[in-house]
Amino acid sequence: MNGQLTITIGGAAGQGLVTVSHLLLMSLARMGYRVFATQDYMSRVRGGHNFMRIHLARRQPRSAPDHANVLLALDNRSVATHGAALRAPAAVILDPATVTARPSGGAVVIEVPLSAIAKTQGSKLYENSAALGALFAALGLPLDGAGQVFKDQFAKKSGTILEDNLAAARAGFDAARQRQPVPAAPLWKPDGKGRALINGANAIGLGMIAAGLRFIAAYPMSPSTGIFTYVTARARPLGIVSEQAEDEVAALNMVIGASACGARAATTTSGGGLALMAEAVSLAGISETPVTIANIMRPGPATGLPTRTGQEDLDFVLSIGHGEFPRFVFAPGSADEAYYTAGAAMNLAEKYQVPSFILGDQHLVDSYHTVDKLNTGKVKPVNHLADPGKTAAPYLRYKLTKSGVSPRAYHGMTEAPFITDSHVHEENGHITEDPVLARKMAEKRFAKLAGMEKEKAGLPVWHGPKNAGVVFVCFGSVAGVARDTVDALTAIGVKAAALCFNRVAPFPAVEAKKLLGGKKRIHVVENNIQGQFERLLTARTGIKTAAPVRRYDGRPFDTAYLINALKETYRWRI
Amino acid sequence: MADIADIHYAGELAWCPGCGDFQILKSVEKAIAALGRKPHETLLVSGIGQAAKLPHYVRVNGLNGLHGRALPAAFGAKVANEALDVIVASGDGDLYGEGGNHFIHTIRRNIDLTVIAHNNGVYGLTKGQASPTADIGFVSPTQPLGVIMTPFNPMTLAISLGAAFVARSFSKDIDFTAALIVEAVKTPGFALIDVLQPCVSFNKVNTYQWYGERAYKLDAAHDPADMGAAMAKAAEWGERIPLGVLYKNPRATYMDHQRAPGSPPLCRAAPAPEQVEALAREFY
Repeated sequence: MNGQLTITIGGAAGQGLVTVSHLLLMSLARMGYRVFATQDYMSRVRGGHNFMRIHLARRQPRSAPDHANVLLALDNRSVATHGAALRAPAAVILDPATVTARPSGGAVVIEVPLSAIAKTQGSKLYENSAALGALFAALGLPLDGAGQVFKDQFAKKSGTILEDNLAAARAGFDAARQRQPVPAAPLWKPDGKGRALINGANAIGLGMIAAGLRFIAAYPMSPSTGIFTYVTARARPLGIVSEQAEDEVAALNMVIGASACGARAATTTSGGGLALMAEAVSLAGISETPVTIANIMRPGPATGLPTRTGQEDLDFVLSIGHGEFPRFVFAPGSADEAYYTAGAAMNLAEKYQVPSFILGDQHLVDSYHTVDKLNTGKVKPVNHLADPGKTAAPYLRYKLTKSGVSPRAYHGMTEAPFITDSHVHEENGHITEDPVLARKMAEKRFAKLAGMEKEKAGLPVWHGPKNAGVVFVCFGSVAGVARDTVDALTAIGVKAAALCFNRVAPFPAVEAKKLLGGKKRIHVVENNIQGQFERLLTARTGIKTAAPVRRYDGRPFDTAYLINALKETYRWRI
Repeated sequence: MADIADIHYAGELAWCPGCGDFQILKSVEKAIAALGRKPHETLLVSGIGQAAKLPHYVRVNGLNGLHGRALPAAFGAKVANEALDVIVASGDGDLYGEGGNHFIHTIRRNIDLTVIAHNNGVYGLTKGQASPTADIGFVSPTQPLGVIMTPFNPMTLAISLGAAFVARSFSKDIDFTAALIVEAVKTPGFALIDVLQPCVSFNKVNTYQWYGERAYKLDAAHDPADMGAAMAKAAEWGERIPLGVLYKNPRATYMDHQRAPGSPPLCRAAPAPEQVEALAREFY
């Protein structure tokens, strides 16, 4: 075993593979393994084929390969889809009563009567626990590693549910052991340091809460809904109000109303929903109302691939909203980074009184990974409201200042009333058509850019040796696979590096030029056909790029995909 | 405590001479003064249109947002700062046309708002096209053969959705409208006052005279708690048009459901670091 192992759990929607996967992931994280897991699911509630791919490595993995060693096949289709690509040490766990297909090749087949075990325990639901027990046996893990996770998961349930689940797991474990006494794919010993397990959706939600979120309004849309449900499930004890809006137009207008009245507010959506928000984004721009918008990309156009991943909305987010106004756009590269980014996006929206975007994608929000420690203390609500002393009458909400930032009060905070306005306005918020003031107000809004550009949050990060010959450049969730590919290339003696962008607006052109200047083999890796990020990079820096690596089939990259692209470009034989 | 002088806006008003908007503005001023709160304790919210200019013409807080979107913005405002009296002032095109979906769902939420619809049956700002409340046959530059769509009845719709307070007024009767606004603001939940208002520039049918001949005030015989009676009065249009409180449906407001009594307004509260730490522990 070379310190890496991959597990695929496959089945139809509704078969419970998410439950098994989650129990396994939580157990592995608690035992001290480092994991990365991607979800691949269809846009349906029942049937079809879904799978979770869990990659374990001694160094923290940040992506998953396109193949596995161990397959838990909950249906025949899982065997057909994943069976042929298994790599040694290969094993398939299946229930012979329901799965009749067998993989080609030399994988060990471990037949476990999951449905029969569940029946003995009294409910079909226990199949998940039996399957988890069988997986533990195949991986050579002690079953007590799952005990605490079961307790957390089921302790609040009534009756004997916890005991029955534990018994089902034990029965699955024993049956697998009996069938295959030596673990088919034994894992290395973990370091025993329990780790946190987080996905991008939860990380963004937690970051928003930590930065003082008071109100969230959204319309459900894959793949953004996970953020909305994460916050909503925790809202009440925190005094946060969460509202499911009638449409995305309402959602962002609600958020603007709330923000103008002093509640930090955010919304979540995906491309089609963001399209409906376009006019309100513009309103946030001219009314200088802080709002945070998490736009989680899926491939388009229109309905596109609802549950798949892509990076096609970069141009859209950079330009959305009629008229001209500055904005922040952040594209975090991993779940842990997403936590800090969400906090920064919220605080900076307040500081500069601008719309602030968190640009994620399905791969970011649905993928899990372990983190040694989530430093919650690093995200706090930073107060950017005006000193009450500066808001006495005649208070000027849109006072012209050198920085472009006016001292901000919310409605009701000061005894001096004022107007939050969608027109070109005077300093006090009243409509004006005066050409001198129109020019000054436009210049005021764009004066903010000087400060925004100097902010440190989300600057590009270099991974790998400074003297690398080959450099992958990416934004957002591609960072994970880019970093893993750098590690894989280093292991075979190729000096490679990755430059991962998070903040894409205002674009960090100075940093990009400094880091990429003089490099010849710059490969921009992105999930779209046009090379939107590459266009942005070259337009803003004048940097010359080499062959791009683009994927636009709705699936995330893996290291083999990137290495193959280099092989083709440079005619390597490795 | 504000009197009219404290909140009166002395600048230029960009409405046509004779417009009903001047009368509604006076009613709004009178109502706010009568409610007795300080100028910063009221927030006027509007979308876009002639009526939607109103927040610029009263010296209280104003939020003049997007066409059709006054209601979601007002909803967010009230959620954030319950201490504000939030009053929406917008037109029939804004509230019933462009914002029709929000009209339905904001009533369902029963958020504590007062909504004043300046209803003149025509689009003023864009110069004379039919609005959703225009009668069948109304001829305009974009309906040259006359309106063929069924007119939108905001009264029956609001009642059917269970609005807390549904009333109708005529802009010319300034004191009557002002009294309705005061009652609406004092009513917890969603309150709609549809104010019939002549457009002197673009609506040559529904004139001061036309309304004067038809409008009458509901008397004590009408029971606003009776939904059936309210619907019957709400459907009355044409020869006779009833004014006054059509329907009252006291019930828990949106914020009653959301928050424990006595909670501080959202804008003045923040989670403790320990609460964030506790959330992070869920991931271990």
